[in-house]
Amino acid sequence: MVHAADLSPGDLISGKRQWQFRSDPDLIMFLGFLSHQITVEFLSSNMISLTSRHLAMSKAQTTHEVPDDLLAAMDYCYEQGWTDGLPVVPPEESRVQAMLAMEGRPPETVLAHHPATGLKLTVHAAAVNAVMAGCLPEFFPVVVAAFEAMDREPFNFHGSTVSTGGSGHLLIVSGPIIDEIGMNAGVNLFGPGNRANATIGRCIRLTLMNVFKIVPGIADKSTQGNPGKYSFCIAERMDKNPWPPLCEELGFPEGVSSVTVFAGAGFCNVENHGGNTPEVILDTIADAMANYGCISTGQSVVVFSPEHVEIVSRSGWTKADVREYLFEHATQPREVLERIGKFEGGYYRQVGQDCHRGFSPDDILITVGGGDAGGHSSFIPSWSRGRGSIMQSQAIGVCIDC
Amino acid sequence: MKLIDPTVVANTMACVRAPVLPSLEGLTIGLLWNHKAKGDILLTETAALLQKRFGGRVLPMVTKGNPSAPAPADMLTNLTPECDYLITAAGD
Repeated sequence: MVHAADLSPGDLISGKRQWQFRSDPDLIMFLGFLSHQITVEFLSSNMISLTSRHLAMSKAQTTHEVPDDLLAAMDYCYEQGWTDGLPVVPPEESRVQAMLAMEGRPPETVLAHHPATGLKLTVHAAAVNAVMAGCLPEFFPVVVAAFEAMDREPFNFHGSTVSTGGSGHLLIVSGPIIDEIGMNAGVNLFGPGNRANATIGRCIRLTLMNVFKIVPGIADKSTQGNPGKYSFCIAERMDKNPWPPLCEELGFPEGVSSVTVFAGAGFCNVENHGGNTPEVILDTIADAMANYGCISTGQSVVVFSPEHVEIVSRSGWTKADVREYLFEHATQPREVLERIGKFEGGYYRQVGQDCHRGFSPDDILITVGGGDAGGHSSFIPSWSRGRGSIMQSQAIGVCIDC
Repeated sequence: MKLIDPTVVANTMACVRAPVLPSLEGLTIGLLWNHKAKGDILLTETAALLQKRFGGRVLPMVTKGNPSAPAPADMLTNLTPECDYLITAAGD
């Protein structure tokens, strides 16, 4: 992770956008969470302003005294209904404090709220669940940023977490933090095998269950669920990516990493080992995007494998070209959609009789990831039959324009 | 070993149940459709049955823009002075 002490004041300004570290050591010291030797004078005059809107009403944290027996404590967590079905790291107090030390704001700071129930997530509660998920403290800023992204209204926190559609919230991390915290952007991208990917994604689900009470069968009415509901977190691979990273494309200042949260309805492997031109690779992906089961007016995420992206980009195709092509070709005829009962009142963008997936090329997020070998890319359809949720992105560990 | 409860939330919304209506006789009925298929049919038919049995007036159906998001607060507050009770339904 980039440390504030390594930067000069000028480094905090990139273009017209200004940003500051949330885990600023001064701020942490100021808040009394821990002492730190590094001081950064220019930040002390630009403290994050906290208003009552951002701070939750204080409520004593409940603690549970259990015997000093780790295995018994794990069983205790099961008995309390705190797990996702897998064992958790017991949320012991010192581990929670270490997690909190990575976030510069007070533990009562609200990160997200549920619009239907009014339940709110504080930094403290997120830290407790991050410990249980197995996160290391340096992973915590990604968790924090993800919930801040999900809290924006277009993401539709309520519908995307409780619907029969069974959304798994896909996190796509981009930027230097990937290497700094050891995320996997390569072979076996969607896991298992990497602690950061696995536990960051898992923390999202544990938090939804424990804090927001999105409990399967009660508030979570997902018809079949989704393996991504255990954990669904990937990193963008840059050494095989011919295009700018997502964090740059999204307009974040240089050096700032980002997380994009997408309410994903599963995972669709796009296999093509014989095609050797951009068009046939993209036709294969477009076909997956527009098959009967997947087509909707919703957004799309496409993760190119290194082999596929090499075929597409060596002919000079830009990311914009790829988006245009996929939007143009991910279609079904209106008569087909009517016949199968998916015309849905005609909300599709139509050109002639062709109904497109999504509303525009900008509805398609494109990134690169996975191992060197294999003609396997992936398409992740959006949750909901329409545009129930719009993906959101957030800078990690910094506060932009604040 | 001291464990921190992971389920503690910041605070909760103050929710109060509406008082039970002593009678539906002659009351004005509001309809809130979540915009999913067939919900409008179910609401219209239900309101017609209630009207036939208890009389009263049925207001024009109000439609949420997004089926899976809570109804906007102003949509509900606008309905409040108009109707005596509100029906919502999922007919999907």
